Amino acid sequence: MRNLRSFLALAVMLVLMFCLFSLASAQDQPYAGVTVRVLSFTGPQVTEPLLRRGPDFEALTGAHVEVTTVPFSDLYQSILTDQATGTNSYDAFVLAPQWLADFVTPGYFADLSGHVASDEAIQWDDIAPFFRNFIASYAGGVYSIPLDGDLHTIYYRTDVFADEGLEPPKTWEDYLTVAAALNGKDLNGDGEADYGSCIPKRRAGQGYWWVLDVAGGYLQSQGTGQGAFFDTQTMNPLVNNAGFIRALEIYDETTQYGPPDELNLELNDTRSLFLTGRCALTIDWGDIGSLSIDPDSSTVAGKVGTLLMPGSTEVVDRATGALVPCDETTCPYAIDGVNHAPLAAFGGWGGAVSAASAPEVQDAAYAFFSYMSQPAQSNVDVTMGKTGYNPYRLSQTADLAPWVAAGFTEEGAADYLGAIEASLNSPNMILDLSIPQTQRYQQVVLDTVISQFLAGEFTAEEAAQQIYDQWQEVTDEIGRDSQQEAYLASLRISRDD
Amino acid sequence: MRLSKSSTSPFRLSLGAKLISYLILLFWTFIVLFPLYWLLVTSFKLPIDVSQGPKYVPTVDFQPSLHAWIDMLNPSDSANIFWRPYFTTIGVGVISAVLSLVIGAGAAYALTRFEYRPKPALIFIFFLCGVGAALMIALGVPWLVAVAVGVVVYFLLAQGIGWRFKGTMNNSDIAFWLISQRILPPVTVIIPIYILFQQLGMLDTPQALIISYCATNLPIVIWFMRDYFQTIPIELEESAFIDGASRFQVFHRIVLPLAVPGLVATFLIVLVFSWNEYTMALFLSGSRTQTMPLLVSAQNATRGPQWWNISVLVLLMVTPLIFMAVLLERYIAKGLLIGAVKG
Amino acid sequence: METLERDVPLSKTASERQIRKQVRGSRHDNTARFVFLLPTVLIILFLSIFPLVSSLLLSLTRVNFVRGGLDIKFIGLANYEKLLLGSGQRHFIGSLQAPSLFGGLCWLVVSGLMIFWFMRYVQSTGRSITGAFFHLLATILTIGMFWIVVATLGEKGVPGTFVVTLIFVFVGVFFQYIIGLGLALLLVQDLPGRRFFRVIFLLPMTITPVGIGFLFRMMTNTSVGPFAPIWVGLGLRDFSWAETGSGARTAVLIGDIWQWIPFMFIVLLAALEGVAHEQVEAARVDGANRLQLFQHIIVPQIAPVSMTVILIRLIEAFKIIDMPRLLTGGGPGTATESMALHAYNEWRSPNLGGSAALSYLLLFVVTFVAIMFVNIVRQRIGEHL
Repeated sequence: MRNLRSFLALAVMLVLMFCLFSLASAQDQPYAGVTVRVLSFTGPQVTEPLLRRGPDFEALTGAHVEVTTVPFSDLYQSILTDQATGTNSYDAFVLAPQWLADFVTPGYFADLSGHVASDEAIQWDDIAPFFRNFIASYAGGVYSIPLDGDLHTIYYRTDVFADEGLEPPKTWEDYLTVAAALNGKDLNGDGEADYGSCIPKRRAGQGYWWVLDVAGGYLQSQGTGQGAFFDTQTMNPLVNNAGFIRALEIYDETTQYGPPDELNLELNDTRSLFLTGRCALTIDWGDIGSLSIDPDSSTVAGKVGTLLMPGSTEVVDRATGALVPCDETTCPYAIDGVNHAPLAAFGGWGGAVSAASAPEVQDAAYAFFSYMSQPAQSNVDVTMGKTGYNPYRLSQTADLAPWVAAGFTEEGAADYLGAIEASLNSPNMILDLSIPQTQRYQQVVLDTVISQFLAGEFTAEEAAQQIYDQWQEVTDEIGRDSQQEAYLASLRISRDD
Repeated sequence: MRLSKSSTSPFRLSLGAKLISYLILLFWTFIVLFPLYWLLVTSFKLPIDVSQGPKYVPTVDFQPSLHAWIDMLNPSDSANIFWRPYFTTIGVGVISAVLSLVIGAGAAYALTRFEYRPKPALIFIFFLCGVGAALMIALGVPWLVAVAVGVVVYFLLAQGIGWRFKGTMNNSDIAFWLISQRILPPVTVIIPIYILFQQLGMLDTPQALIISYCATNLPIVIWFMRDYFQTIPIELEESAFIDGASRFQVFHRIVLPLAVPGLVATFLIVLVFSWNEYTMALFLSGSRTQTMPLLVSAQNATRGPQWWNISVLVLLMVTPLIFMAVLLERYIAKGLLIGAVKG
Repeated sequence: METLERDVPLSKTASERQIRKQVRGSRHDNTARFVFLLPTVLIILFLSIFPLVSSLLLSLTRVNFVRGGLDIKFIGLANYEKLLLGSGQRHFIGSLQAPSLFGGLCWLVVSGLMIFWFMRYVQSTGRSITGAFFHLLATILTIGMFWIVVATLGEKGVPGTFVVTLIFVFVGVFFQYIIGLGLALLLVQDLPGRRFFRVIFLLPMTITPVGIGFLFRMMTNTSVGPFAPIWVGLGLRDFSWAETGSGARTAVLIGDIWQWIPFMFIVLLAALEGVAHEQVEAARVDGANRLQLFQHIIVPQIAPVSMTVILIRLIEAFKIIDMPRLLTGGGPGTATESMALHAYNEWRSPNLGGSAALSYLLLFVVTFVAIMFVNIVRQRIGEHL
């Protein structure tokens, strides 16, 4: 019997260990007052400023900010499962504006319009109108506080272009020409051949945005409200037309002027290639501007030029699907005969507050995001490469001083901010897709088919047809009418402004 | 034991064969160690040292920097993300491995020493009662009441209609059924498990992770330990029974000491599995119980992988396991006798 | 091998006799037999069987996230139909085209073997109706699956996630076994320093698969990875493994093999150390050479262990996800997307029903392969599994 007892004793010890361990993790909250549990993704980008400024905020308000990070690729699911199952382990979320449709519709997020209206410190009007609408608003309410503004521009090596006597590209044909001309040249003086164009094309990366960058100029010419993803009348995808197919062909051709393993490169890889002088051209978010002046990452400081996204001299006629030349009616916003349609790819990070949290926690969570977004904080953060925050306030693009203080040359800062401003002010800017289950349209269908196309499994026509069929299927599955309504609503946002 | 000293090893070698053997072994050592060396040097690199092409030797090819190590380890940094996941991983890994070993070894022993003839129909009824109880809990019935109702209904059904069913299972059927649970891919079962723990209010607790890992590792423990127990001669146990010992005494005093190599080897394997598990942790853990594989994976941010951080984290993660492998090396090969039973 | 087959009934009765003798072991056995087994059964029932059944139900539904929870709609077999016959077929099964000459021949050989296997069962003495049904089912499924493999791997075909998974599993386990056995044979020898090598060779297994995925992305980078100079030196500067499906699959396989050789190695080492020395000595005295020794003494003795360890790895290998997810993201195209990764991607999209259906198809394939393996091995080697 004694041995049975010692056997039981072992079991009891195990149970005790188990309990102690749970206790230890449960009482790990030495802070009094309100705790705001923020869910973000692992940085340093975007999360670093939250972590850095959390203690300052606590000193100011007494609210303790607890930031949890999950892998970027799992953030959407983490928010969804947490909210859908009523677990509510988090009070606030850092999220992409494209997800708002999925989270606001079921009522997961608190409407912050009241908070914003009574908050002067946030200087709401200083936030660029585009971001105020795209990041912050959905269906008439304010659900997310902008922390970052994202859009794609072209980056090129000014020194190389000057040496070779090349003009910066205005159309995608120009882009291919200069990329071909510079591919194989030594661009950084190490005696090895370098590349003309670097674009991250890895599957399950974010490669689908770059296709849309190219396609934009062909698909949308009548201003932001026209939309570039679906026909507003029928909700049929705008992909099986001559413009999208032409874009696919151009996208495929850029692979010839890039590094051999471009199909497995992620943003990180193309960025470091460009920043170490191995690429003449790249398409990227604003981060690259502030990273280029950081000697820990870059050898091309002062040699980087920034450009508005190239466009096209032909656009799609939506009735026939064929390409028609640009004139005053087909391309009312053309510049020198070229239709530009810069893509607000991704759009920028924002902060949302859980509707399930207690009111005082909601207030604290809002106050924290407001604090992060106020010019006193954000105008410094956007000039730092590691924050991953890009300009989204008018004061940030208007005032060169913080940028020069951060290490930009006057000229470089003006060029960089000029291109961003030009994109932001374009009346023909493309709104990134923001309807329920956007992830399925872009990250699943578009990303997979584009990857299959680049791997040679499909021709451009087949790829376009595949995207068309699968998008139609998703739309029908979710409900064509509700999706069309959501799509129109997402476009109307910009019309009202 | 069948394991003999090397002096009587049948695999004796000529000098030439020895040389070739060493060459191959050294080559393979290089294959194994070079990637680990690369992790080590990468952990001292700045972003630019990674992107400027291969740099092999610190101070010769590049100036080593401690930035990644400081970012990860500095305990005074309030934004430190490392220590909590690290201790969570150690705690969850060790406790779940011990737990599955204790439970699984008992089951494995029982399957080699007792004869079971359960009726599948009764198991099915039991399972239905369990699901019913779970549903009641989900619908808001207090869990004690729900469990009691489930148990009562089961016994009523078992006594009432149990005798009608003829089909029985034997020990190898039970073993196969238990072991086959290892076939389940985590993606298949994770959504229901998530909802189960959510209903029990156990999401984001170490207990949820421990129990889940225990469940996924039990089949492995049973598989390994069953084969190990079969190699232990039963005569020793028989003589103990003649001396009046109970089954628990025999198990505790005779069988377990003889099974130490098997237990240690199985423990290590199971520990490695739960230490490194990703998919279940992704669902079940939140802010309080993030584990190391999640933290490693999380270093692939919007800007792509932070190679230096990943290197630091993987090295720190693997160090305790290497330490244990060195310490327990002599048990490992002796303890893995799966499939070795000659009947 | 033939002698082993005859040994089977003998060994079975021996172990049965053992059990019967032990039943009389102790007065407390009636309690003990349940105390020992019950916790395991409970845990498995609630954390494996219950989720398994729920997943099956989930795979027959479409789940939407709506205000206040989940909207679950029963849609029958539509999720399966989509994957096997509908718009998901291209992704899951691949693009079926005429197989290459070699592939076609392989298929004919395999089909012939399977039909022979079936006929042999039908003519055997122990046949039964249910047995014949399952043998027929197994024959048809094997022939069908193998047709998918050769048809998608032909010149114009494109393999889907199903075929990619099979490639990862069978090629991966094959090399893990061969190399693991080779290393174990080296280290069972009487060499000074073998403890050192044993510990070293174990290391890859202890690293988290997530970490290995990242690690091999660094190692296989052909412009800034450590082997880039060699790659360029070989004149492959403008070529990358990432461009072609087979190249990317090779990269994933190398990482997976590197990680799991240690497991094969350590188990086989244990088995080799258990090889009866008297027989080896006797054979040596009879003048057997190294190869004969290996073939006639060592192979039969380690065969049961080999089969068990291969079975374990087969089962585990079907779950491969982290390596392709981190190394290639499943690309280029779907060239390295395993079924587990496919299910994970569906779940993320979020398409819970489709993900559950895929998981179930994966479960079906693993179970089928495992049962076929166990049955074939049982017939040839004996009941150890």
